[in-house]
Amino acid sequence: MQSSIRYAEIRTSSPGYWGILIALFAVALLGVAGAHHMDVEGHHVSGMSNQIVWGLPHVFAIFLIVAASGALNIASLASVFARQDYKPLARFSAILSVALLVGGLAILLLDLGRPERLIVAMTQYNFKSIFAWNIILYTGFVVIVVAYLWLMMERRMQRWSKPAGLVAFLWRLVLTTGTGSIFGFLVAREAFDSALLAPLFIIMSFAFGLAIFILLLMLSFWLDQRELDGSHLQRLRKLLGIFIAAVLYFVVVFHLTKLYGTQNHGFERFILMDGGIYTTLFWLVQIGLGSLLPLALIYAPPLQDSAKSLVAACLLVIVGAFAQLYIIIIGGQAYPLNIFPGYIVASSFFDGVVAEYTPSLWEFLLGFGGLTAALLIAMLVLRVLPIMPEALRAESG
Amino acid sequence: MPMLKSKLRFAMLVCVLGLLPGAPGAAEQARSQFGNIAIPDPAKPLSADKCVEPVEIMRRDHMEFLLHQRDETVIDGERGSKYSLVGCMNCHNPAGADGKVVRYEDPQHFCAECHAYASVRIDCFECHADRGLLQSQQGRLDMHAPAWKASAAVPPTSTLQRRLGTVDGD
Amino acid sequence: MATNPGKLLQSSRRDFLKGTAAVATILIAPGIFLYKTGQAAAGLEREARWGMLIDTNALSEADVDACVSACQREHGWQTAEGSRTDAQWVRKLRLEEPETGHQKFLPMMCQHCESPPCVDVCPTGASFKRADGIVLVDRHTCIGCRYCMMACPYKARSFIHENLKDQLPVAPRGKGTVESCTMCVHRVDRDGADAVPACAEAVNRNDSKAILFGNLNDPQSEISRRLRELGGTRLRADMGLNPGVRYQGL
Ligand code: SF4
Ligand code: SF4
Repeated sequence: MQSSIRYAEIRTSSPGYWGILIALFAVALLGVAGAHHMDVEGHHVSGMSNQIVWGLPHVFAIFLIVAASGALNIASLASVFARQDYKPLARFSAILSVALLVGGLAILLLDLGRPERLIVAMTQYNFKSIFAWNIILYTGFVVIVVAYLWLMMERRMQRWSKPAGLVAFLWRLVLTTGTGSIFGFLVAREAFDSALLAPLFIIMSFAFGLAIFILLLMLSFWLDQRELDGSHLQRLRKLLGIFIAAVLYFVVVFHLTKLYGTQNHGFERFILMDGGIYTTLFWLVQIGLGSLLPLALIYAPPLQDSAKSLVAACLLVIVGAFAQLYIIIIGGQAYPLNIFPGYIVASSFFDGVVAEYTPSLWEFLLGFGGLTAALLIAMLVLRVLPIMPEALRAESG
Repeated sequence: MPMLKSKLRFAMLVCVLGLLPGAPGAAEQARSQFGNIAIPDPAKPLSADKCVEPVEIMRRDHMEFLLHQRDETVIDGERGSKYSLVGCMNCHNPAGADGKVVRYEDPQHFCAECHAYASVRIDCFECHADRGLLQSQQGRLDMHAPAWKASAAVPPTSTLQRRLGTVDGD
Repeated sequence: MATNPGKLLQSSRRDFLKGTAAVATILIAPGIFLYKTGQAAAGLEREARWGMLIDTNALSEADVDACVSACQREHGWQTAEGSRTDAQWVRKLRLEEPETGHQKFLPMMCQHCESPPCVDVCPTGASFKRADGIVLVDRHTCIGCRYCMMACPYKARSFIHENLKDQLPVAPRGKGTVESCTMCVHRVDRDGADAVPACAEAVNRNDSKAILFGNLNDPQSEISRRLRELGGTRLRADMGLNPGVRYQGL
């Protein structure tokens, strides 16, 4: 039955296609330039400081890494959960997840204070550090998914693709848990002190990864003028709706459990009520634009068949994702540490005050550079390997 | 990548310098091999008559010594090593009579001469002092280089006596 | 010392040799370069756990300022007014009781935790705890990821945001790495239990020891005695990190 699917490289030579590739390449280059500038000058040219030590690049990087593991979902559904209707898209799912991960890791690497010491990070491990584990998890993920992809694409090997898919699926769950735990281990910071962070990250990865997946799928089919039947989009649309709702549910539970413990009231108040930019981002962007509006776009009966509304929903999910990660990562640092409960604290090191942060141009460049590098990798692979099905017709599954 | 490159260059330097003391005429060989660029001959230190190791060994292995020494110092608190970088600088790049010192960006710097010749970046001085101790710093900063000012490197008498067992400590 | 004969026996030979070396330096080589006699320093005392006891009642605001500038002079760091990126190894904290308006000042630095989160999270092991309890960053292997800064509950660490020049020989520091209070480790390695960190030197007049350095593992040491008699506060004791820096008067 698999043999009924025919895959092909993207062949278009339309100006639009090349224009997109060139634009992606240009932005990726700018990203490298931005990183280089920060490396040569030092991080004082960024908006980051001794208070906000992880900034916008980390928001982009975590977004990409989280989305990477989510992008693998479609392949997992096909291989692990035997959903034949997702089978034609499994290859693309695997490629996209590797590309996103590489983009995210590139940002993390280039933001290091000493990026030229990558060799140290690769050879000296502190096995107590979740970071060190993540380096192994990430490289392992790339290796496993590439192997999985090869098994899927090599006809004689296809019977092995199912176990490989299972390994990849389990690995990605661990990987996202590991990513979430980067923050979960920071017990001193109220924002991150929650066991729910890891599962929240897993569910976030489902939604973010699928949103990017749908967008790129539609884009490449449209560019190459391939047939994409509405039934396939409908299926993905429902899936996305479920994931968005699940994230929303988890966010509510997350904040409710935090509100349950009195010691976190200060921080919850900060995010939910008087945190300025963070409160705005939370209600307006993460909840409003990033969750409720896409849900409406997906489920509202008059829009049900509109491809445009699906595109809009995906874009909004991504916007909401950035807001959510910004709140978690930056907001979590902006809120002051409580070293002396019961006292009013002041110092030259910004103790006791909400830390300010304004991302600089260089950080935007690096962040967008990593994002576009990921998309560029995915698009290029689509051109050189038969990843995408020639057409997704009504009964192709 | 830059790391690898500098390693290669480093290996080149080691080869070139390693040849020098052993085989007569090696310098000529090296010179012809690299065109007519003169092989550096950095100025000899002002005050000591010999280095911590013979010159040919230092030329080849100084980075190994420093690498070893750095871990011993940082992790095990071994401050008196004869391979300390401050020790090197005290001899090889002391302040001049006018208080001026040669900085490592300057091609006249003892380390810079060979490193520029071999195109090997000197990372050390991005963090470490590239000069010997100034008179004004010695009282405070002598612990890295006890030989510079021997008396200051000795623990206060009470510690010393306690260590020697002559008094019963605190 | 006498209360712990096992420890004394264990370390006496090494210490004796070191002591001899130091003597040799004086007797044989006044003013001459004698490279083999570099063993004068006390080195690391594996059995010790160094700590500091800070008596906030004995510290005026000016005293705390003096601590900060002494540390700056010792290690060669500066902080421009209002800078968000300049390093601060130690900072002056003002605590105010909301009801009474009563103010206290104290120096805040790396607490040299017994179970340091910064060390746990560091991917390369650049953050490490020496055998004598001093927590340091090995700047040779620090990649500048700043995870340790995220993990430290006391905001004790700084990242170097720009190129530096004219670092002092005792405190090598450079762009792209993280740093924090070293408890004046270079003095500790030289003087052992008699060491006086720069901040303490700046405020301890006559016999008063507003900042007392000593060995927490040695029950006979002054710091242990004072902690036993008067107690001392561990900051964020709820986190169970057992910091080596303790405060009195909080
Ligand atoms: S105070 Fe912070 S930097 Fe110092 S040991 Fe504890 S966790 Fe590490
Ligand atoms: S910044 Fe340096 S010391 Fe801190 S966790 Fe990263 S590698 Fe370790």
